[in-house]
Amino acid sequence: MAFYWKLAWRNIFRNKRRTIIASVAIGIGLASLIYTDALIIGMKESLIRSTTASFLGEAQIHREGYRLSREAELTIDAPGRVLAQLEKDPYVAHFAPRTQAFGMLTSPANVNSVLLVGVDPLKEKHLSQFDDALEKGAWLQPDGHGLVIGSKMAETLEVGLGDRVVMTVAQVEGGDLSQEMFRVSGIYRFGIRELDTGMALVPIKRAQKMLGLENQIHEIAVRFHNMRDAENPELPFWKRYSSRGNEAAGWPQLMPEMKNVLELTDFSMYILALILAGVVVFGIINTLFMSLYERMFEFGVLRAVGTRAGGIRKLIVFEALALALVSVVIGTVLGLAVTAVMVYTGIDFRGIEMTGVHIQEIIYPVLRIMQFIKYPIWVILFCTFVGLYPARVAGRMHIATALRKSL
Amino acid sequence: MTHSAGLTAVMLFAATLLLSGPFVQAETGKDTRAREIVQRMDELYRADSSETTMEMEITTPHWQRTLKIQAWSRGTDKTFLRILEPRKERGMATLRVGNEMWNYLPKTNKVMKIPPSMMMGSWMGSDFTNDDLVKEYTFLEDYRFEMTTVDDPEPGILYVKSTPLPDRPIVWGHVVTAVQEKGYLPTWQKFYDEKGKLMRRIDFSAVRTFGKRTIPSVMTLVPLNKRGHRTVVRYLDADFNIPVHRDTFSLRNLRTRI
Amino acid sequence: MTLKMAIRNVFRQKRRSLLTALSMFGGFVLAAFFIGFSDGSYNHIIDVFTRTRLGHIQIHQHEYLETPSLYRTIDDAARVGRILDRTDGVESWTPRIYSAGLAAAEEKSAGVRIIGIDPQREHSTTGFRNRLKEGDGFSSAEAKETVIGKGLSKLLHARLGSDLVIISQAADGSIANERYRVVGILDSGNDVEDRSALYLPIDEARDLLVLDGRVHEIALVLDKLGHVARVTADLREKIASKDLQVAPWQKFAESFYKAMKADQEGMWIMLLVIVLVVAVGILNTVLMSVLERQREYGMLRAVGTRPGQIVRLVLAEVLILALICIVAGSLVGLLINHLLSFKGIRFSDAFTYGGMTFETMRTEVNLRSFTIPSVTVLLSALLVSLIPALKAARTDPARSMRIH
Repeated sequence: MAFYWKLAWRNIFRNKRRTIIASVAIGIGLASLIYTDALIIGMKESLIRSTTASFLGEAQIHREGYRLSREAELTIDAPGRVLAQLEKDPYVAHFAPRTQAFGMLTSPANVNSVLLVGVDPLKEKHLSQFDDALEKGAWLQPDGHGLVIGSKMAETLEVGLGDRVVMTVAQVEGGDLSQEMFRVSGIYRFGIRELDTGMALVPIKRAQKMLGLENQIHEIAVRFHNMRDAENPELPFWKRYSSRGNEAAGWPQLMPEMKNVLELTDFSMYILALILAGVVVFGIINTLFMSLYERMFEFGVLRAVGTRAGGIRKLIVFEALALALVSVVIGTVLGLAVTAVMVYTGIDFRGIEMTGVHIQEIIYPVLRIMQFIKYPIWVILFCTFVGLYPARVAGRMHIATALRKSL
Repeated sequence: MTHSAGLTAVMLFAATLLLSGPFVQAETGKDTRAREIVQRMDELYRADSSETTMEMEITTPHWQRTLKIQAWSRGTDKTFLRILEPRKERGMATLRVGNEMWNYLPKTNKVMKIPPSMMMGSWMGSDFTNDDLVKEYTFLEDYRFEMTTVDDPEPGILYVKSTPLPDRPIVWGHVVTAVQEKGYLPTWQKFYDEKGKLMRRIDFSAVRTFGKRTIPSVMTLVPLNKRGHRTVVRYLDADFNIPVHRDTFSLRNLRTRI
Repeated sequence: MTLKMAIRNVFRQKRRSLLTALSMFGGFVLAAFFIGFSDGSYNHIIDVFTRTRLGHIQIHQHEYLETPSLYRTIDDAARVGRILDRTDGVESWTPRIYSAGLAAAEEKSAGVRIIGIDPQREHSTTGFRNRLKEGDGFSSAEAKETVIGKGLSKLLHARLGSDLVIISQAADGSIANERYRVVGILDSGNDVEDRSALYLPIDEARDLLVLDGRVHEIALVLDKLGHVARVTADLREKIASKDLQVAPWQKFAESFYKAMKADQEGMWIMLLVIVLVVAVGILNTVLMSVLERQREYGMLRAVGTRPGQIVRLVLAEVLILALICIVAGSLVGLLINHLLSFKGIRFSDAFTYGGMTFETMRTEVNLRSFTIPSVTVLLSALLVSLIPALKAARTDPARSMRIH
């Protein structure tokens, strides 16, 4: 066995040029696979981040039924307990409680319906991007009297920083109207119409007072340490917070369209892998057959002196395996190098909007150990498998015909 | 359909329908004469009960309509309005008791309770909001008053500047009211935003005597940031402090055919 | 002479040529398939999206898209309709009226978007009746009937046969109010829309809102998605009105368009990688085959063939092979893409995008799926043979013959 193995190695390096050409070709293919995989992961993560980071969060907790009807009476059950649990939860990186109710915002020039969102300014900063998207003014202070609105809303109401507005909402119990004066303390711009028009953010305590809610909240947005946890239906998080009348849902449920876009991307990856397989096949077959025909005479001699057909086959298969190993080394190094460079520089996707969401950042490919295990092993196995065909041909060669062959 | 005529701007109109009872003595303003003027203006429209017939002419860039409305009020919390003209809206009525409000539409025979979320919506398509008709009159409590001067003063007219007290739910920067020296009848009211830009004005005219009261019978409201909009309210008839039966303020009365 | 020799060489070395050809052929077909698939699936999504709700092209009053308003109407809808009937490429069109209002059911009321449609035209243009989850829809264009979205029916606790009172403000300022019976419940696939969508027959909506012969929107569907640009330009010329705006779907479904574009940019990157891999594969095989034949070329040189001729010979062989593969690849690629453009590729889970469900993805046959792979194959083959060809031409014949 070891004999054939050693022989195989020596054989493939006999024609260094050919071996190098073939293994480089396959290596490039492998590198492409690794690189594309990393890129796609990076793109997916960026897409998820873009969707969830602006306002949604990676998961949300509501009272059962709230998501469907958005009725203001449906506040989260036992909010104190839930928030305390989230504080200690190992999966959770950040969370932000919110109240939400529709009301009217009046300025000297105009009146507009608006979703009044009461937020915890400190917690919200870590979860959503309003503070980053501020165009004018400053983010809310916890005990402050500020009000932050989107640029389009500011335009419609013809207000700027410091201007007076009056917010009117109906109290949750009883329906009495609450009216309070605010001064615009910040204006944000996402560039997305829905976010820039519909909402007005105030410190949660003030919103609760206006709505007549005592420490009650409508929604908790959550961000995990590992972004992909939201896609994991087995995560204990869901059960833990979907109890006692509440329900927890991740972005795959909140935004099912996102999930499908990502799946489509996966499909493209399969096609790439298929094409790569084709390259590998042709590369290996070409190389092996060419070397085979060159060595026809040699094989004839080998058979003549007693080597059995099986031995010849083993030899060829080992040659394929050896070629694969060389290719994998080249491919892995190449893949690592190229992707690592990209990890630093990134690909600039800024400014493009995907599914209504702004990709606000540069996309960085993400390297994973799996890429360097899964793909190389696959290439090795596949190459070896492909080598079976020329091996069979070599094994079945007629000794006499072989001895008569020469280039 | 959705923009409010300005919460405080409409107070005078609302006052006719809503008010009665002693007004609250608020803290003394900086200028007692100014406060006195405003107080007197306030008294012009107050009554324990009232029955009025008025015309509301609404002009927008796209259309113009005139509604003829009959209205009753009792105490501070009961109001009933019914549209007499035009024919398409004839019989439409609004009932307000306390914080609750109902509309009646005769064509579809539907009584609809107005949900809180719709309170800021317009009343029957006019420039006034449902909320305007429900709110309590708090002008005196929400502002401080002082005498002031204007660039081109008219003879025999006094000018009062009203500035909202801090933290009141009011969008205006300040309001200037012009009243006649004799009798303190208002002639106009101008509403400014905080930057001093004139946003809206109401003109009072056609002083008439209804029973024992002499008041301007026509109010013209013009928002200055929108072109082509105007609302004119004309009192055709008004009776104050007359007995109004409490059955007037009932859901049954909403459906009464006229 | 070179050509004849080249051809003979190609067919003489069957095995070698075959192997080289296979890599070219295979690469071509795979690249062609990928392009056909990605283009096809995108266009399929776009077609379904626009065909089943919005239409391929929409006509409005020129300010309507920017700031919609009850008063920004198409005043001579009949004239526009006649032009559309005469325009090539327009399969079907339908008018619509929009307004906001309040719907009051027995106990509950909700804000609604009132949409006045022509039941016949709407169905032939966007398949309206196919979206009815319950009920048969409108019986005529003037009936006092309404079709509501499924989310709205839940909000109002209204079912088939329920009575709804609709209140709105008409174009003359008066209060519009009317009773309608629910004759259909609609599932458009877009949950947010369905929570506020309320459809009325267009003549009824006109009466309610006092709009005379005016409409807000005319949506049309073309026989082929690819004709959108041409027909848009055509219509702009024919309608020739400063008051009206003819907008293709890229304009009125702008965020959808941007999303599709972004996806496509992602696809371009993938394509680049694929092209690279294909090129590398071809490089590999062609290079090897050319290098193998150094001895042959050396012999030719020894016999007196000039360097220039050697180069031409090498290139000619590769070119012939490449051309054969391109032609063969084109045929096979055409076949595959054509077949799959009808049957499509089934997904294991139905795939939802933009509120619509897709179960299969279609490929398409287009120019790009030929040109890009062809260029790739040609360029990579020629480039890669150039260097060894030149080398072979210049090397001392004796030396090359000693190479093995």
